[in-house]
Amino acid sequence: MTDEMLRAPAEVKYAEELDWLESVDDAPKPFSWRLSPRMVRLFILGSEPSDGLDREIPQKWFGDRSFVERSIVTLASDRGLLLIGDPGTGKSWLAELLSAAISRNSTLVVQGTAGTTEDHIKYSWNVSMVIAKGQSRESMIPSPIMTAMERGVIGRFEELTRSTSDVQDALISILSEKYVSIPELDDDNIVFAQPGFSIIATANSRDRGVNDLSSALKRRFNFVRIPVVTNKRSEAEIVRFRTTELLKRHQMELELPPTLLDILLQSFADLRAAAASATSDDERLESALSTAEQIGVLEDAILHSQFFGDRTLRAGTLAGSLVGSLARRTPEDLAILNKFWHGVIEPRSKKDEDGPWTEFLDGGREAIAKLS
Amino acid sequence: MSEPFGALRAQLLDAAQAFAGGPGAVPDLLSGLVDDVDRALREELEIFPVCHHSPASALAMVRRLREKQPKVIYMELCEDLRPLLDELRNCRLPVALQAFASEIDGFPAEWAPLSVVAPITEASAEYQAIAYALDTPGVELVLVDRSTDHVFQWEPRDQPEPENVEPEPENVEPEKVEPEAAAPEEGEEAALHGDAVGIEIGDLRPGFAELEAYLLHHGKVRHWSEWWDQYVEQPLADADYATYRQVMVLIGSLFRRLRPDAGDRTRARDEDRERYMWTRMREHLATSGADPEQCLYICGAFHAASRVEQFGLRAEVTEFEISPRTATRWQYGLIPSSHSAIEAQFGLASGSVSIAAATWTKAVTRGGLTPFQLDGQKGTRKRSRRKRELGTPAPREPVADRLSGFLARPPALDALDEAELLGWCVDIVRLARRNGYLASTADAIAVFETSILLAGMRGRARPTPYDFQDAAITCIEKDAVPGRCDVRRLCEILLGGDRVGEVGYDALPPLARDVLDRLKPLGLDLEKRTIQRALLDLDARPELVPCSDLLWVLRRLLPSDAVRPIMGSRRLGERSIQESWDLAIGRHQRSIVELGYEGVTLEQVLERRLRRAVWAPKATAAQALAAVEDSILYLGSRRFTDELGTRAVELLAAERTVDDAPEVLRRIRRLLTHYRATEPELPEWCQSFVTAGYAHYCTLLPTAFVDEETGVRQVAAMLGFLFGMESLALSFGCDHAQLELAVQQSHPEAPAKVALLWAAKSQLGLMPMSELRSKCDELLGNPLVVPSFPQYMSGFVQALEPAPALAPFMVEVLSKAFARLPDTVLLPWLPKLITTLRDQAHELVPVLVREAGRTFPATLAAVDSWVPPWTSKPRPPSSPASIQVAGPATDLLASHPAACDAVAGLFGYEAEWRPAVEPTGGPGMREVTALMTDHPETARALTAVLRL
Repeated sequence: MTDEMLRAPAEVKYAEELDWLESVDDAPKPFSWRLSPRMVRLFILGSEPSDGLDREIPQKWFGDRSFVERSIVTLASDRGLLLIGDPGTGKSWLAELLSAAISRNSTLVVQGTAGTTEDHIKYSWNVSMVIAKGQSRESMIPSPIMTAMERGVIGRFEELTRSTSDVQDALISILSEKYVSIPELDDDNIVFAQPGFSIIATANSRDRGVNDLSSALKRRFNFVRIPVVTNKRSEAEIVRFRTTELLKRHQMELELPPTLLDILLQSFADLRAAAASATSDDERLESALSTAEQIGVLEDAILHSQFFGDRTLRAGTLAGSLVGSLARRTPEDLAILNKFWHGVIEPRSKKDEDGPWTEFLDGGREAIAKLS
Repeated sequence: MSEPFGALRAQLLDAAQAFAGGPGAVPDLLSGLVDDVDRALREELEIFPVCHHSPASALAMVRRLREKQPKVIYMELCEDLRPLLDELRNCRLPVALQAFASEIDGFPAEWAPLSVVAPITEASAEYQAIAYALDTPGVELVLVDRSTDHVFQWEPRDQPEPENVEPEPENVEPEKVEPEAAAPEEGEEAALHGDAVGIEIGDLRPGFAELEAYLLHHGKVRHWSEWWDQYVEQPLADADYATYRQVMVLIGSLFRRLRPDAGDRTRARDEDRERYMWTRMREHLATSGADPEQCLYICGAFHAASRVEQFGLRAEVTEFEISPRTATRWQYGLIPSSHSAIEAQFGLASGSVSIAAATWTKAVTRGGLTPFQLDGQKGTRKRSRRKRELGTPAPREPVADRLSGFLARPPALDALDEAELLGWCVDIVRLARRNGYLASTADAIAVFETSILLAGMRGRARPTPYDFQDAAITCIEKDAVPGRCDVRRLCEILLGGDRVGEVGYDALPPLARDVLDRLKPLGLDLEKRTIQRALLDLDARPELVPCSDLLWVLRRLLPSDAVRPIMGSRRLGERSIQESWDLAIGRHQRSIVELGYEGVTLEQVLERRLRRAVWAPKATAAQALAAVEDSILYLGSRRFTDELGTRAVELLAAERTVDDAPEVLRRIRRLLTHYRATEPELPEWCQSFVTAGYAHYCTLLPTAFVDEETGVRQVAAMLGFLFGMESLALSFGCDHAQLELAVQQSHPEAPAKVALLWAAKSQLGLMPMSELRSKCDELLGNPLVVPSFPQYMSGFVQALEPAPALAPFMVEVLSKAFARLPDTVLLPWLPKLITTLRDQAHELVPVLVREAGRTFPATLAAVDSWVPPWTSKPRPPSSPASIQVAGPATDLLASHPAACDAVAGLFGYEAEWRPAVEPTGGPGMREVTALMTDHPETARALTAVLRL
């Protein structure tokens, strides 16, 4: 089944693993959860030999253990979970893994945008059916959240703070009363949430102030802040993990040289340090320089080498992709990258003559020259 | 061999065989661990292994002391700190024992000042032992670790870079306290130890980062303190003494054996420390004749598992040469410490010491134990004497294997203490509300539920403080922190909070006591840690003047926020009628205690510092003058001031650069004004300074003019000194010709300096104003020179300092420049002009502005008809008949023509006297004549005076 999809949801992709975990899980499970909280944690963070399992469960989300624990516990409590953090910190991926592990369904998702309406959260009507048969449960189109309530599973709300405040507030009654009433119907007009229902929302901390959550809604969510990964080792693991997945998806056989991964991680670390010490936005790249951004750069470079290169990932291509992905504003971003290339990459390449840094330097220079 | 641990050893070796698959490092390691435990427990001298900030250690210590009642206690703590321990009872814990040396001998000079601190908290095993030993008659407490001098002696000296020279705190891990955990106001408490090297009894931590990371990862905890709490502290809290001892030695041995080879230096140092301690104990036993059965040796678990050949009273090798101490003079004192300072210094997680303290208090109550406490200890509950009495000592039990059982059995889990958790939940919500969070009872319920769920997920029934903290953060923390403290910090406050110690009056050094005594008239409790406002009405209450003097000295010596004047200032020539101060002396107790190491009174410390500053090899005349000023302001000792002044003269004469000339000029001017206003004649050193300065700057002037590295400001300051002090210098015997010669010998090339030279010449009368004006006009008229004209202008601006009379000319040149310079030159120069004026000549700007105000018309209407004074033609001389009117004034001038002749000469005219005519009644002349005729007394008196 996974072969037929461009990107399989976590519950499909890890179906076999989840089945196995469910079969060995004998701990008490809250509500209608498919796995016990400890197994959910194990599924997400991977197993250790000390867990005493017969097979190894790989780690799928890289970050502080306590974030995962706090998230799981929140879902087992009465409140919704709001994952908040910079773009590219793995919020949505964690949300997907959590819903896949808990309810085997991570696709009940509402995407918050400026155009999201209350109908997207509650329900809407199939107009032609209403005209033909009148308003009934049959002609009602439940939203993903309502479906989650009916089934007692986890519903997801991506980018909660992108939707307007009145739409956000539709969640208040769902989270506190745990039902949605349908005043248009005379009978059977209340949808009650089944045990096991909860909401995982994600919010981008860079959107703060656009559509701030009301205090009433804040109270109904537990906030778990996911920080940008700054630990080089975990970051390398994340990038490697996601890239391998990506290569598999594109059915490519391309080797990722460890030196190039180091170059990428080092460059991002340097750029982050530069951004942290910059005093104005003009001296800072527009990009958040997140781990996801690194994966994007690497993906771009891999695809480029695969289709336009000699099927080997080279430092020059990586540099080109890095410049291409990060230079969003002309001339500000280009100027910063140019300065970075001269001030940081050039001295590095001098130390390591004929090494990959030199190739990286040339590739980057070429890309900057093309763009400016 | 009948050894108690045989079974355990066999079991471990079997396990190693089964899992590691054959001989290798693992069996050696495992059997080595058992060997170490066996060895430590068999030792004739009872070894008590401890770990720092471990309530379990403290509890075991209380139990053991009550049981054994030893007569001699040997403790792993620098031996020279012993006298300080008696002062602990005057302090509120936590405090730190400090050894401090500013004058060092035998160490690299860049290490100074050396400082070592050993913090003591109430919830520590060492405090229990100290309290027992000091308050029980007949018990001797012997500190056996190397002296503080040896701490530094054993530091490697091969790193030349200063950042490496500072010896690393022994147990600071590379990973520091998480920055987000440190609330802003916490910084101050965390810095209580300054940059001292920390020493702790019972340092126990994995030897390398990977091992710690491995333990944390597999223990499913976030930091070391949590790991320790979960895997050692809790299981050992209620364990019996034998189990406690065996487990601690086992852990010590494990960390000792799992150390990278790279740690050889540390390993050698640790082993030397062990040799040192055993040598000292052996010496003490030999001299005192104490019975080893009656002794207890308290050391870190790490040292209990020592394998040095000197280990044990029956060791075969006993020789260890203890090197003599260096000649460094060590000073000892107590300084206040705090939980956060201890955490910051020893790389512990934020809040861990507070949590340990809370655990201790709870365990004491729960276990019905009576901990030891020093008599009169401040800040603690008083315990009844009856409760503190000791029972009869119990004999030592034979060693039996408790490890097998402990390692095989899962730890006994604490049951859920619902009341405790409920209390925490309610309190955290209340605290959060007070700190701006919108927390409610619903949150308290959520925190309660989440804590239990989190603890369950982490495999325990009773939520630990860390689980509770996580739960509170999850449920209460939203997207922003409304107040100063986030929920993490609030939890720490709730679970004990940061405790800040205080050194009591009696334990303070004489200087600190003197300060407190002398500030008593203020009527404030200066030992409080809050900022206090002191109001001093010096006119109404002259008895407060000494307090004010002292506060100013404190202001000079302490960090800037310790005592802060809100109103009032102390500068030369000023006296405050009223002063208002913000005093935070209690909060800066450490700084005052450290001042105490330098002298007995503040004045003595200041005097020493000033003396040291002026006699330093790199001292300059400007610094010496600053010291003179400080001496006048704060010390008021004429003799000492003169000594500093004399040194300033020496320094000035020896200086080969003129970099400090502006500073020297500013300071000596201020000092001269002060002396002129307050004393009948200048002190001798001032006279010497002026004459030496005059000669010195005259000599250096030609070089300074041409030297590229000497700035215009410096040369201007030299000229300022020479012109400004000239009359004084000449009166003390200097020669004006020297200055003229120096100016004439100067041939600068830089435009700014050329302008300066012209100004100097004009001031000296060597260049008439007309020549100066024509030179400037030439510059403006020459298109090749115009771009550098702004530089000339900077020179002229600087020239206002030595030649203030040039102000009108400056206005003229500036006006011309603005009128005639092309925009391409003018516009880039303008910002530079403004910054130059602001940075280098801000005191000259008012002169310039006043002059400009005089020159330019004041109203808009007048501008149209305004003709710049410098463009108007000089008026033709009016007829002599109309002005040369005979009368007393004319007679006076005619009879004493010298002054007029000199003035005329200065302006470039030849003196020419014409005969006077009788008044003929020009405009106004009649009135003057009438006035003089009616009131002739003045004129007559003047004539009489002149005739005399």
